[in-house]
Amino acid sequence: MRLIVRNFEDDPTLQDLLSVDQLERLNRTLSSLCQAPVTIAEQKTTGAIPVEFNLETVAWLSGGHSPEERSAASELVSFLMMFVAKYRLAANLHHDTTEASYAELQRQNDALKTSEARYRALSDQLQQKVDEQVSVIQQTQQELYESARLRSVGQLAAGVAHEINNPIGFISSNLRVARDYIDDLKDSLPATPDHEELFRDFHDLLSESMDGTRRIASIVADLKTFSSIDQADYTMCNLNDLLRSSSHLVQTEHGHQLDIIERLNELPPVAGHPSRLSQTFFNLLNNAAQALSDKDFGDRKGRILMQTQMGTDSIQVIVQDNGCGIPDDCRARVFDAFYTTRPVGSGTGLGLTVARDTAHAHGGDLTINSRQGAGTRVTLTLPIKAR
Amino acid sequence: MPDYQAHDNKLTLKVVFYGPALSGKTTNLMQLHSLLNPERKGELMVLETRDDRTLFFDMLPIGLRGTSGLDLRLKLYTVPGQVQHDSTRKAVLSRADGIVFVADSQPSQQDNNAMAFGNLEENLEKVGLDIDTLPMVVQFNKRDLPGVVEELELQQRWTSTPWAPLMMASALQGNGVIESFRALLDRLYIAISDEFALEHRHGIFRHTFIDGLSACHEADRAKL
Ligand SMILES: Nc1nc2c(ncn2[C@@H]2O[C@H](COP(=O)(O)OP(=O)(O)OP(=O)(O)O)[C@@H](O)[C@H]2O)c(=O)[nH]1
Ligand SMILES: [Mg+2]
Repeated sequence: MRLIVRNFEDDPTLQDLLSVDQLERLNRTLSSLCQAPVTIAEQKTTGAIPVEFNLETVAWLSGGHSPEERSAASELVSFLMMFVAKYRLAANLHHDTTEASYAELQRQNDALKTSEARYRALSDQLQQKVDEQVSVIQQTQQELYESARLRSVGQLAAGVAHEINNPIGFISSNLRVARDYIDDLKDSLPATPDHEELFRDFHDLLSESMDGTRRIASIVADLKTFSSIDQADYTMCNLNDLLRSSSHLVQTEHGHQLDIIERLNELPPVAGHPSRLSQTFFNLLNNAAQALSDKDFGDRKGRILMQTQMGTDSIQVIVQDNGCGIPDDCRARVFDAFYTTRPVGSGTGLGLTVARDTAHAHGGDLTINSRQGAGTRVTLTLPIKAR
Repeated sequence: MPDYQAHDNKLTLKVVFYGPALSGKTTNLMQLHSLLNPERKGELMVLETRDDRTLFFDMLPIGLRGTSGLDLRLKLYTVPGQVQHDSTRKAVLSRADGIVFVADSQPSQQDNNAMAFGNLEENLEKVGLDIDTLPMVVQFNKRDLPGVVEELELQQRWTSTPWAPLMMASALQGNGVIESFRALLDRLYIAISDEFALEHRHGIFRHTFIDGLSACHEADRAKL
């Protein structure tokens, strides 16, 4: 509305009402009606009288035979002007309203477009959220599956370890007896160089085999500690022992290539759930090992520090690595259930969440300090409960 | 808003008769045209109608001159009351200086009155006018009909609005039309006289303004 310069209600000028041709024709016909020619013009000339229409002088009329003739002609023109003006007014109003309606329509259309764009953006955001959630669910499924598998494999291993214990026991003692027999046999045979050679070799073979059975026995012991197969749910635990066996198993996982520094100080026994604590230590150490194996970790020598220390009313277990660290934007999310920076399949996304839950279940806490590219230190604090 | 053109010392004011369809806006204007005898009076322009119902608008220009030679004009417009002509109503309403709201007194028309009043509020806002400061008179028309809503009831209903007291009229019989118009002129004068120094610069006093613009033919005056 505001844009229209001339309002429909503005008083019309002669030009607004009649075209040049129409004015000429009006002059001609009026003149032929009058005894002397008359002229209607926008500008006043001498002797001209006003042609009034709606309180407005729209034109000046001059000529004519007498003042009476002039005023009669002027009267007639005013009369005609009313109809012309009515038409003009209606047409102008129509133009104004059409323009206003169109502007309004355009405004509505723009508003519609804006809101449509807003909804599209919203729907895109929603889709993105859905995609994110779907991928979280997929990952969760994967990790739940993996953790369940890990648990059953662990149970199986513990069962097997238990079964192996007996045969390993008698194999080991039989080997020892067999070696003694070899020594006895050696004395009852002639001492030729061939015999000497044969006996030494035989002796070594048996020694190596005995060494092998000792190693098997120690792995079995670690497995038993780790899965605490023969422990009640809550017992007094030796954290250092649990840490050591977890560390051995992690070493086994990583082909004994890890440089794990142990700084285990003497600790009082802690009331806890040994297999959950072992699982936690395993996770923390395994995370550290993976941080070291990360591709973008430079050629710095990777090390893992495994430390325990006693405070006034709590025990701290620290697992620290000088690996890739946790990127800043991930740090706030490291405890999000199932969150992992490693691609799905490499597992242990549950590690930190499970570790923290375990800490909480034991009345303790888990904190993480990490700098990208410099390493990560995880501190597990457990209270020493008064017994 | 008043349109003052300094170069020809001309001030044009716009009064709009608003209201629901068939309430008697056109009849009000026709009565004013025949009753009024102000200093200056133009033609009543009744634009297109269909079945006597306004399609565009009606317009009557009247005027008077101030002692300064001020050419003061009042253009009286009616809007089409029918719902579907809202954009025309808005165009006619724009830049109004005063409103006469013509309501229908028949009980069956009270909803339509309310809707038309709501529409007026809405359109005033759209054309940038403020209903609380705009001079306005509310007229209840068709008092001659039997069974109309009691005046007392109407007056009480409107008593706490800025538009009390209401004007009662029978436009068909010519009653209350001039009175409604004079009430509007009064409010209009109060609203604009200072801005245009009507009294000091142009010698147009409140009574000059009201009496001058609502002057009636002697014969009709006798009737009133
Ligand atoms: N009885 C009675 N009838 C009236 C009165 N005023 C108007 N009418 C009648 O009501 C009908 C409508 O009157 P209009 O003046 O054309 O109404 P309007 O408000 O201009 O209507 P729109 O142009 O459609 O908005 C006509 O038949 C009038 O004769 C009145 O005071 N009393
Ligand atoms: Mg009408």
